[in-house]
Amino acid sequence: MSTTSDEPQQGDQAAPPDPQSSVPGRTGRRSLAGYLFMPAALAVVLLILYISVSTRELDAAEQNRLALGYILAKTQEHVVLTIVSTLLVLVIAIPMGIMLTRPFARTITPFAISVFNIGQAVPSIGLVAILAIAYAIGFVPMVIALVAYTTLPVLRNTMVGLEQVDASVIESARGMGMTKLAVLTKIELPLAVPVIMAGLRTALTINVGTATLGAFIGAGTLGALIVSGFSGNRPFISIVGGALVAVLALLVDYLAGIAEDRLRPRGL
Amino acid sequence: MRHSKKARLIVLATGLALTLAGCGGEESSGGSGELSGKSFTVGSKEFTEQLVLGQIAILALEDAGATVQDETGITGTTNVRKALESDEIDMYWEYTGTGWTEILGNETADAPADSQELFDAVAKQDLEQNDIEWLAKTTANDTYAFATSQETSDQTGVTTLSDYAELVKSDPESASMCAAAEFLDRQDGWPGLEKAYGFSLPNELITEVELGIVFTAVPKGEPCKFGEVFETDGRIPANDLVVLEDDKDYFVGYEVAMTTQAQVLEESPALEDVLDPIAEKLTTEELQELNAQVDVEGLPAEAVAEKWLQDNDLIG
Repeated sequence: MSTTSDEPQQGDQAAPPDPQSSVPGRTGRRSLAGYLFMPAALAVVLLILYISVSTRELDAAEQNRLALGYILAKTQEHVVLTIVSTLLVLVIAIPMGIMLTRPFARTITPFAISVFNIGQAVPSIGLVAILAIAYAIGFVPMVIALVAYTTLPVLRNTMVGLEQVDASVIESARGMGMTKLAVLTKIELPLAVPVIMAGLRTALTINVGTATLGAFIGAGTLGALIVSGFSGNRPFISIVGGALVAVLALLVDYLAGIAEDRLRPRGL
Repeated sequence: MRHSKKARLIVLATGLALTLAGCGGEESSGGSGELSGKSFTVGSKEFTEQLVLGQIAILALEDAGATVQDETGITGTTNVRKALESDEIDMYWEYTGTGWTEILGNETADAPADSQELFDAVAKQDLEQNDIEWLAKTTANDTYAFATSQETSDQTGVTTLSDYAELVKSDPESASMCAAAEFLDRQDGWPGLEKAYGFSLPNELITEVELGIVFTAVPKGEPCKFGEVFETDGRIPANDLVVLEDDKDYFVGYEVAMTTQAQVLEESPALEDVLDPIAEKLTTEELQELNAQVDVEGLPAEAVAEKWLQDNDLIG
């Protein structure tokens, strides 16, 4: 977060924290090794998967389902589904979280929370089935189901994050003449970022896992490997599919972690 | 003190008596008693027809005096077959075509066209190779079929699979189709169909879904105009769907027959006497009707099975 004339001066002697410092807690930044661990581990897993697929004798169905082109296509469907639904969740949950923590929303807050609770309380496969029968199959109902399912963690965390900002900090900012909007964007939101990002990371990993249900309603995704392996008793396909979903979830979580590090204000 | 001791003894005795009564198992109401004293575990696949067939077997066996364990509803052909081979279940209804290709590994193209020949060939090979007996062949043919809405059939003029092949070549967009993973993976399913009729539908026009979704998608025509169905499915007439004729006789016959461990049949030869009369009465139309009662009218499989058996004088 850039220094502006609004922020109180710490003193001329204050040295900015060293961004390359490997001491956690001080700056929240990791060392280079820390950043490289997860992608290296995931690369190893992918390599193992690749080797076991190429060295194994595959029957006709396995050859189709484990062809690189097919897997890449399914992965793309999976990734697109995850990204679109996560973006929608951000657009819905964060503004809603902000709104519900404003004084004027005090009365409707419990009601709004119950609505999003319903979305998460209904088991995801039930929600997907209802949408498939009542509405349509394919990409759109999957997005709706995923958004309904993961809005709650992000919303709840946004609200908690904003509410835990020290009231005295807000007071002093207002006292210095900052507008309500400035307080929100320069004080409240930055301080709430760690908690919001935690909620987002949860939502992302849930999304990646739940997106596999798309295989049942014509949205493809890596779930198609799992379903095919199961209904044809070819567990190898299911294992490969499941492992790829796990790798994707960890990768997505890793990238979110980097985003969190970048967005976290210094000094936190 | 003595009072409560007596009371406790009475409670204990009552509890014991009730437990022993419960251990007695289900009593069959009359019936032939040919299988009294025997116990069987009946399995089945997970879809409606298999559940109904499973219940028919269970009720018939119980009526003949046997104690039956219900292990129906196992997902996937290969899983339920494994259960049979590993003694987890004693019997389940299988299809002759599935036996020929999926279980015995033969080529679809080599399957005998005559249904009795196919049954005999499968029974012989399975007994020799796997010690599994096939008995009580019905005439209910639950073959893979391709269906479409009446509307699409009228618009495109497609009534046979050869017509469909032509449509794929001339106007692939209107030949879009929905199918389940098993049909798309099985060599006696979609891959073999494309080869037999000489067409290849682009992947973008194939939507892979749970089987039931075919019946919500095809009537709408979105996102697929054609769909994989099973010929005995009650939802076909219920949704006004038209089954395309297999004019090249590609789809192997899938007549319902009972499969059981050779040892089980040896120990209880009366099984044939109980199941044969059922096999005689079970036709494709009868099975379609039974399936419709479950899938369309929403009746439970056991009730449907019981009524059918009673209406046909197969149980007491």
